Amino acid sequence: MTIALDACAAILFGLGTYLVLQRKLSRIIIGLGLLTHGANVLLIASGRRGYPPIVGSVGGTMSDPLPQALVLTAIVISFAVTMFLLALAYRSWQLTDDDEVADDVADRMISRDTSPGEDVADQEESMPEPVEVEVEEL
Amino acid sequence: MSRLVALPLLLPLVGAAVAVLTGRSRTVQRIVSLTVLTLTLGCSVLLLVEVDRSGTLVAHGGGWAAPMGIALVADRFAAVMLVVATAVLLAVAVFAIGEPGTERNHVAFQSVYLILAAGVSGAFLTGDLFNLFVSFELMLTASYVLITLGGRRAQVRSGMTYIVISLLASTVFVTALALLYAATGTLNMADLSLKLATVPVGLRQAFALLLLGVFGIKAAIFPLFFWLPDSYPIAPSPITAIFAGLLTKVGLYAIVRTQLLLFAPDMPTDVLLWVAGLTMVVGVLGAIAQDDLKRILSFTIVSQIGFMIMGLSFGTVAGIAALVYSMVHHVVVTTALFCAGGLVEYAGGSSQLKRIGAMLRTAPLVALLFLLPALSIAGIPPFSGFISKLSLVIAGFDANRALIVAVALGVSLLTLYAMMRIWVGAFWSPQEEPTPAASAERSGRFGAPALMIAPTVALVAATLVIAAAAGGIFSFSERTAGDLVHPRTYIDKVLDQ
Amino acid sequence: MIGILLLHLVAGTGLLVTGERPGRRAFAVGAAVSIVTLVWGLVMVPSVRSGHIPTAAVEWVPGLDLNFDFALDAMSLTMVLIVGAVGTLVFVYAGRYYDPGSHGLPWHSGLLVLFAGSMVGLVTADNVYALYVSWEGTTITSYFLIGHNHEQARARAAALQALLTAAAGGFAMLGGLVLLARAAGTPSLHAIVSSSLPENTSTAVALALILLGAFAKSAQYPFHSWLPGAMEAPTPVSAFLHSATMVTAGVYLIARFAPLYPYAPFWRPTVVIVGLTSMVFGGLRALRQVDLKLLLAHGTVSQLGFMIVLFGVGTPEATRAGWMLLVAHAAFKAALFMVVGIVDHTTGTRRIGEIPRFDTSWRGVKITTALALASMAGVPLIAGFAAKETAFGAFARSGFDGHIAVLVGVVTASALTVTYAFRFWFGLFGTSRSRETTTRRAPAAPGFRFVTPPALLAVAGVVLGLGAKSLDSLAGVAGIELGLGRSALHLAPWHGFDLPLLLSMSTLAAGLGMAAGRRRIQPILARGAVVPTGDQAYLAALRALAWVARRVTGVVQNGSLPVYAGVILATVFTAPGIALLTRAEWPGWPRFGSPGEVALLALLCTAATGAAVVRRRFGAAVLLSIVGYGMAGLFLLSGAPDLALTQATIETLSTVVFVLVLRRLPKRFEHEFSPRRRILRVLVSALVAGFVFVFALVAQGALTLPPISNEMVDRAVPDGHGHNVVNVILVDFRGLDTLGEITVLAAAAVGAAALARAGRRRPPRPDDPAVAAAAEIDRQRRIVFVDGTVHVIFPAIVMMSLWLLFAGHNQPGGGFVGGLLAGSAIGLRYVAGGASAVRDQSRFRAWTVLGVGVGLAALTATLPLAFGGSVLEVASTVLHPPLVGEISVSSALVFDLGVYLTVVGTVMMAFEAFGDDAPETLP
Repeated sequence: MTIALDACAAILFGLGTYLVLQRKLSRIIIGLGLLTHGANVLLIASGRRGYPPIVGSVGGTMSDPLPQALVLTAIVISFAVTMFLLALAYRSWQLTDDDEVADDVADRMISRDTSPGEDVADQEESMPEPVEVEVEEL
Repeated sequence: MSRLVALPLLLPLVGAAVAVLTGRSRTVQRIVSLTVLTLTLGCSVLLLVEVDRSGTLVAHGGGWAAPMGIALVADRFAAVMLVVATAVLLAVAVFAIGEPGTERNHVAFQSVYLILAAGVSGAFLTGDLFNLFVSFELMLTASYVLITLGGRRAQVRSGMTYIVISLLASTVFVTALALLYAATGTLNMADLSLKLATVPVGLRQAFALLLLGVFGIKAAIFPLFFWLPDSYPIAPSPITAIFAGLLTKVGLYAIVRTQLLLFAPDMPTDVLLWVAGLTMVVGVLGAIAQDDLKRILSFTIVSQIGFMIMGLSFGTVAGIAALVYSMVHHVVVTTALFCAGGLVEYAGGSSQLKRIGAMLRTAPLVALLFLLPALSIAGIPPFSGFISKLSLVIAGFDANRALIVAVALGVSLLTLYAMMRIWVGAFWSPQEEPTPAASAERSGRFGAPALMIAPTVALVAATLVIAAAAGGIFSFSERTAGDLVHPRTYIDKVLDQ
Repeated sequence: MIGILLLHLVAGTGLLVTGERPGRRAFAVGAAVSIVTLVWGLVMVPSVRSGHIPTAAVEWVPGLDLNFDFALDAMSLTMVLIVGAVGTLVFVYAGRYYDPGSHGLPWHSGLLVLFAGSMVGLVTADNVYALYVSWEGTTITSYFLIGHNHEQARARAAALQALLTAAAGGFAMLGGLVLLARAAGTPSLHAIVSSSLPENTSTAVALALILLGAFAKSAQYPFHSWLPGAMEAPTPVSAFLHSATMVTAGVYLIARFAPLYPYAPFWRPTVVIVGLTSMVFGGLRALRQVDLKLLLAHGTVSQLGFMIVLFGVGTPEATRAGWMLLVAHAAFKAALFMVVGIVDHTTGTRRIGEIPRFDTSWRGVKITTALALASMAGVPLIAGFAAKETAFGAFARSGFDGHIAVLVGVVTASALTVTYAFRFWFGLFGTSRSRETTTRRAPAAPGFRFVTPPALLAVAGVVLGLGAKSLDSLAGVAGIELGLGRSALHLAPWHGFDLPLLLSMSTLAAGLGMAAGRRRIQPILARGAVVPTGDQAYLAALRALAWVARRVTGVVQNGSLPVYAGVILATVFTAPGIALLTRAEWPGWPRFGSPGEVALLALLCTAATGAAVVRRRFGAAVLLSIVGYGMAGLFLLSGAPDLALTQATIETLSTVVFVLVLRRLPKRFEHEFSPRRRILRVLVSALVAGFVFVFALVAQGALTLPPISNEMVDRAVPDGHGHNVVNVILVDFRGLDTLGEITVLAAAAVGAAALARAGRRRPPRPDDPAVAAAAEIDRQRRIVFVDGTVHVIFPAIVMMSLWLLFAGHNQPGGGFVGGLLAGSAIGLRYVAGGASAVRDQSRFRAWTVLGVGVGLAALTATLPLAFGGSVLEVASTVLHPPLVGEISVSSALVFDLGVYLTVVGTVMMAFEAFGDDAPETLP
């Protein structure tokens, strides 16, 4: 754990965030990659650092093996997911010749029109209540 | 007996491997999948009975004692969620087989579905925070595959939203783990809850909020839920059903587990209260604003999550008991509701309320199957939703949180309104222009294939049972709440002290 | 009691699920059920009369005090008898009312039965929660009953309005009931009423909420407007729900809680004001109606107001009067509704002025109407009269301050009642000028079965009126006043000449006068139309709700991924960040870091920045991979050779895959977003970075305890049988993680393949020209030199990977690295020969490899359980094969082999997916 490491992690997070907040999937993927690297840096920084954790290889302080195992797992998982995302980008290209993440149509429609729903329409149809005219008797 | 603990996680994995190996033969895959799920359900039920009778069970991965090794822990909470989840998974598996399109056209379906099941079991059982991350990844990766299965344009679009958001959550999760390990040098939750005491309070609270955020994204709480109504409704109806019913609740489970086990003394109660209120209100308003059946339902479950967060925020035994019962009720009823919604979409040829109608005539059974869970989720007696609501209201008054209770009651009214909009639109109002797929011919006697109807009927029946047997279930929930509020026994069992 | 309720439940649900077949016969079932109820009620009379209260109880949710406890006191019994009697007649009537062919009659009848059941439950419940359950039961059933003709929008709207109004009141009431039950410490209705509650705001609030529920249910101003709307319902429904039973539920509730009025100072004024308002305005509105059914509806609002006043003030005398009115009203109002139904059904209209002339065959109907109206108007010797007399008497005595004002109001409203009674009569049977012009004559009166029910009810009115004395004794003995003390006044058909008589005579006179002088009064009344109706208010509320919902949703749910991601990241990091900055203490700076490390990190960050800003997709990819290799270097520096290896190989692979995809996509990212958005982006990014930095420093500074990994290091060799601790952790200590992780890998691979292949409808046939073209491309791509080298290198790399696999337990290496290396070998092959080459030369299909890999791992995890071990427990034996000497084989190795295979399979899948050599056919 050193300032340099934490700073590096922070920078990776910042850049990753910046990329993730965009519309091109391939950019988002790169952003996610940077974020993952940042997280891994933090993991490495979270443990003692020293010589490789191989018992009986060399003396001196041995680096903490557990974070390494965790990072290894994290790396592989993120590789798997990245691969899948790329497949998605690829599919998106097949369909739209681009990897743009478009806005949700239904949401857009709602944020535009403000016409009340069907039931309110029912209500209006049934309005005004029956007229009450005065009639002659006798 | 503790051998039983690992099976709900392992069986689906083995099943998945077999399903992959059987390659193209769909029948074999189906048999494998259904058998595995049935076995898993059996194990879970046994586990539940055993745990409720003779206390928490622990299985040490590789035989290594916690905190060094990974401990799988089956306490009451985990066991009951396991049972409910597996039952729902089984029902939806059948539903998917019955529903033309989703499962039939994809070799991968059954194996990936089993992987999802494994992930869910792992998330419930694990006693290790990093292993929880891995289980989440299992569940999520499977869900990515399922939600984009078929790769239609809309699916790819919504899939992107869903996956990117989930990945962000995962990254933040890893970050949180790194920081936690840095601060405490351990990953086992029981161990953490002891060692976090040595951490300065401010840092502890920061961790509490960080994890709340991480799991809150999956549990779809305000302001982290916007992705859900955009992604769930697009997927094929069986997949939407299982996602809506289960995945959000896994996130919620993680919230409850971590907040109560790790941060119980300084749980961010006020934050939770606000989150609960806003989630309820914004969710239900969203439901009222929609004109599409699946979207209305999606927003409704978001607002229901608010109710459960409310139960958690009370932090009292009564509140947690209400929460546990509500979770049991909600998993089943939501899945039933979405299955029924799938039936409506099938029989009516669309999920747009404007384009369907008069189905009380054309498909009365579907109408009934939709109506019961709809009333239940709106909290109308005598259905399970009412008991959940009543328990929350009582707990709220006990905790002197009258305001949030008032909000909750108001939201219940709006929920009822939203449900009745669906009822009017789909079943009462006459159909304007008959949709091309409108299905006098395709929807036979019941309005849909028997294999879609049967599991829906089972699920609806299950909701009724949850209401009828509420006495037993609720007292169980109270016992569970006791365990959760006083985690000492859990900790001792895991670290066997 | 339980039996009766179960009977309703079973019969009702049964009718709901039976198809169309029974038709009108379904109502016979209903009638039977109601008769049973009625008979049971009558049987109970003697015991209840003797002051004994039969009870029954079924546990439901003891943990919440939510149990079905029932108690049958005089008040409950009265309601039960009303439900049973009116119910029976309504079912008989309905059997004739609906056209035989009409749709959904069994469903309809089933709902009626369920409603009756809920009603019985409501009035007999002693547990407040059980009461609420039945209460909502009536609400829901009434919704579907009102919406019977749901093809008409008006029926749908009316049903929804009724539902929302009642449910809103219901939820309020629920809150009130919970509060009361907690205050009293018991959910029992009788106990609550008799117990002494804390005199605080919560009790008062509870009572207020309960009043809300009651007013909404009993259609009191300002919540009344759903009741006229509900006239869209078929007449049997109106006769049952909207006159006799459901609408009186609110009255019943107020009667129950009236003894608690001392706890809420506002109780008496509220009920009096609301009740009188409803009485007067209901009467006036009734006078303006043309539709006879609507006239009755507004009349009902008025009468309910009367009852609310009587029960609400909480004096024994008024209560007794109210009880009489409750009974009388049930009889005459139901009868009148049925009459309207008959007229509507036979003549096809119920509008004053359109109703044709009736011949002598209608005499029966006429008499019925006359009797019912007389009871309503309070003509002596008939039930209504007895009620009114007692009421006037009750308010004339000084029971509470302001009672005279109430008396005046009540008398005025009663005069109005008389007037609209006349209006009803003339509207139906009067001979107006307009009528003479119409030559239309009504068809002959309908048959016996149709007319009998109302006739019976009308006669009942007379009987009750004459038998008022015996009723009074019953009421007196049974203590109808619910713990308010005994009534000094008594019910009687004739009290002799006293103030009340004078008053009722004057009401009759005044009513008659107004009826006579209506020509002068009508214009004044017509002006009342300018007063905004409750409907308009309701509609406005509904509109407002829809508007708000759309606005809010439009804002928060704007459908844009960048926005969602931004909000989420900002929230997730800001919230804990604030807690950190406000509460945590600063641990102080750690050391800065060694020069080499700093240099490497600087390079890393530069590359990352490049990847972030560069506009060419390829460039970005390359820079990203540079970052990756940088990470590998960092790992090496940090003493993590395994990580370095893994990172390097994985980076290679993902770069290849990345490039395979990117070659499709446009070369550059074009400018998209506005500067404002960009500023926001930078802001969020800075926020995230800042919080991560602070959080990391604080967290890392907080460690005081030895990490759990120390123990792992100690036990790796003796118990884990491996020197490479990382590998031991992966395959043994934390094998479960690894198991999950390779499954993730498999799932992603399968999904990616499925997705990338989704575009292709059919597998390419060899004779497909496209395939030929692809083969052509392959040939061009295959450069002899590369091909050759690959042929040489490939086996070498594979051997290398296997060595890594086996050595992994003691030196850097292991399943992952091995598998990845083998994977990159396959990658080379792809570069050389295309996917087809890969598919040809690899004997196994990717699926199989993948399946075997995961299967092996999962089995090594599972099998130990079979031998009594724990999950993933490692078993190792030492083999002595000839010539080789001894090899120690441990199940950890098998597990690692599974990992190896999974990784290889994944990579093969990846090339299957992206390294396509078949044409995409877009769906």
